Amino acid sequence: MRGKTFAFLALASVLLVIGLWVAHPPASRANGEKDEKDKGGHAHVPAPLEYADAHVPLAVWTDPAMIARGKEIYTVRCAVCHGDAGDGKGPAGVALPLKPSDFRDKAGMAEMRDNYWFWRVSEGGTGEPFKSKGSAMPPWKGELSVQDRWAVMAYQHTFSGHQGPHVPWEHPESVVVGRDIYVMACLPCHGVDGKGDGTVAATLSPRRAPQPRDLTSAEFKFRSTPSGQLPTTGDLFRTLTEGVRGPGGVMTIGLRGYRIMPSFRYMPEEQRLEVIEYVKSLNRAFRERGEVKIVGVPTPPPVTPERIARGKKLYADAECLACHGERGRGDGPSAPTLKDNRELSIAATDLTRPERFKSGSRLEDVYRTLVTGLAGTPMPSYGDSLAGSDVGSGLLPPVAIARRPACRGRRCQMRTASRHKEDE
Amino acid sequence: MLIRSIIFAALLAATIGYVQVQTAAAVPAFARQYDVQCNACHTRPPRLNRFGEQFHMMGFQMPSAARPGGIVGSVKEDGPVKTLIDSLALRIVGGLFEYSESPRVTEAKFEPPHEVELFITRPLTPDLSVYVELEYEPKAVKFSRDRGFFETKHEFGLGKEAFFMWNMGRLIGALGAPTMEMGGQTMVGRHGGFTMHGPMLMAGKIDPNTNFSYPTNRQMLEATELEVEKEPGKEHGEVHRLPVVPYTFASKFFGLFKNRHEREPQLVTDQVMYNTTGAPGADLHAMINDVVLTQVGFLSENEGFNTYGMLRFDMLDREELTFNVSVLLNWGFGVVRAPDPDDRDHPGATRLDRLRYGVAANVRWKALDVYGALIFDRLYGLPGRLRREFDRDAAGLTLQVDYLAHEKVLLSGRFDQLWAGGLRDDKRDGTVFSAQVKFYPWQNIAFFVRDSVNLRAFREDNALRS
Repeated sequence: MRGKTFAFLALASVLLVIGLWVAHPPASRANGEKDEKDKGGHAHVPAPLEYADAHVPLAVWTDPAMIARGKEIYTVRCAVCHGDAGDGKGPAGVALPLKPSDFRDKAGMAEMRDNYWFWRVSEGGTGEPFKSKGSAMPPWKGELSVQDRWAVMAYQHTFSGHQGPHVPWEHPESVVVGRDIYVMACLPCHGVDGKGDGTVAATLSPRRAPQPRDLTSAEFKFRSTPSGQLPTTGDLFRTLTEGVRGPGGVMTIGLRGYRIMPSFRYMPEEQRLEVIEYVKSLNRAFRERGEVKIVGVPTPPPVTPERIARGKKLYADAECLACHGERGRGDGPSAPTLKDNRELSIAATDLTRPERFKSGSRLEDVYRTLVTGLAGTPMPSYGDSLAGSDVGSGLLPPVAIARRPACRGRRCQMRTASRHKEDE
Repeated sequence: MLIRSIIFAALLAATIGYVQVQTAAAVPAFARQYDVQCNACHTRPPRLNRFGEQFHMMGFQMPSAARPGGIVGSVKEDGPVKTLIDSLALRIVGGLFEYSESPRVTEAKFEPPHEVELFITRPLTPDLSVYVELEYEPKAVKFSRDRGFFETKHEFGLGKEAFFMWNMGRLIGALGAPTMEMGGQTMVGRHGGFTMHGPMLMAGKIDPNTNFSYPTNRQMLEATELEVEKEPGKEHGEVHRLPVVPYTFASKFFGLFKNRHEREPQLVTDQVMYNTTGAPGADLHAMINDVVLTQVGFLSENEGFNTYGMLRFDMLDREELTFNVSVLLNWGFGVVRAPDPDDRDHPGATRLDRLRYGVAANVRWKALDVYGALIFDRLYGLPGRLRREFDRDAAGLTLQVDYLAHEKVLLSGRFDQLWAGGLRDDKRDGTVFSAQVKFYPWQNIAFFVRDSVNLRAFREDNALRS
């Protein structure tokens, strides 16, 4: 009886392995299977961060004027390698070690995101992994304006036969890698549709903030963009990498960040970018917003007693103590009444505990929070109400409260600098 | 009769209760390893939320974010001391216990602590993790195989589980299956099509129930203690009160034995396949396309061994609702002994096979968590002379509801129904309702009050009484 059982299980295991081997979808670039040298096309890598927000305006893809302009540029600059028919068989292309893309490859084009495409047109083969593969594609960013690059992309898009805009909701295969990662790592909190309605949401901090972000909404807390705007890809990358700290007590030793959203810093960078692309695909506004403005973070001013005094005055004038309290412990008179955009009670941050600052406690993190605010929470943006230098001064009280500013002059600078380095 | 029973139960509930304190059975080692709060993985410890289930599935690593280099990477980044400390966690349970001896007599016991556990757990590599529990009980009630009876003594040794978990995706890939890298781990399949996380091999002293829709090792109401009482003039104690456990996974039969020479009885409430207090064996489980979990394995039990298979289907989270359902099939080869037909107090020569099958489900909606299981058992191989006196069928039903009334307050209720099998003269059905209020001043510290009420009429000779 036992021998038969073992034999049955062994046979089942073999059948399972064989089944796994045969039952898989066709080779695709999403899985990095198509041979670049033979079939041309692109390696499935995400666009680097500096190009991640370079989305093409939706109207461009179907604008006859843009397509016509693109055709003119393509004929002169691209057809020699990519071919007049867009098949990658131009006279100069056939001898290249890395074959030019075949724009008629519908599956390959569908997997190619617009920001990646823009990156390739802009930088050519100068970036990795294409440089190592021997790409001969020149960078066009010096010769073609942004509009011209969009135009040539729109023309190249016509070779694929796709009629609508080249966006993830028309081509879900372009974010399939990110989707798989999202289902495994993000769905329990953020929900299957990204609305922040996963089952973890109800028990994480029940009936109060913070709650998992509704990724389909326009309100994201942690941004380097002005108030009312969506974050950059870099902002999302930072949040994913560093996690989100929060209130809540665990009695143990060695916890530093008390994160409620874990840090995914060990997820490979490319996969973090992939899942962010999927997250962005849940909210069409990321592709409809046009130019992205970023709030710059200046060099922190030196810490002097005068600046601290100025900051203390600003702390009161700007009514920070109404929520954060006179001693920065989040116990201001308004604190008990605070609610977020979902009408959930929300606590004012205890500024004496920098390890709990949601967006981090480095000087640039606090500066960014002051200038951009935390969308969806009562924390406003002070970018317009405080002058630049005053923001720098206004920055100091929360930093100073957190760092026990019982110091003067050079000794204070040294202590602040050492704390800053410690946080890094 | 029914009304009297209800009134009686209500009076009992009003006068009897437990007050206990425990560390809440999260493993703070993981909180420290990943710098994350307990509630990220637990609805409330020990119950895992869906993210925690993914964490467990990853071999105790962040989903899609396994640490490169494993323990070596941790030593390089954090240093050996922090790596060691972050691998350890301590759990202590203790408090005041009260039991009803009869409707008129209550006994109280103060045991701080009555259980101390040390956990040693962490990933060694992205594909290999280890989990070990060491347990100390100052007053453990165990069957002494040397002496042939139950006794109370202090005990230290391996706890419920001690195993390694290995992601075999790379091996499956070496055999020719398509694979892909996700978050440092190898997954079988391809993006956009069939994907399989695993199979994960769990081997050692394990409890495979952790993947079930009703994972009894993660429920909120813990088992109470087996009580042994020594009557005057007797050499050794006898079972006085059986523990309150989830009946669905209990042994369910009166009159069985675990072995022959030691004559150790298999108590009706002993937790057996496929939830055990940890049995040597090996388990393979895999998650397919994030919605179907499959599981097979082997576990030893007494003088025999079990094989089992389980299938779980998950609905993905939306609108704060999720649902999963599991089916289980288990065959135990010679796992228990029938009593001697000539002397029912001693084990006979016949080992019995056991078929166990059942279904479980779990629904989570907002702050409500409802889970339950219905399991049927049937014994095979009974000696002919016992067949008239021995009922070889049994079943158990357990239904639990947890409600997070407040961030720090969890209300729980559990209903257990036992349709017992075994010697007809001895078998008793059981119907128990348990309630608990748990207060978490910190996420990993809990104070709780619980009570269990036997909904059947009190009988002096019924060791199932609460």
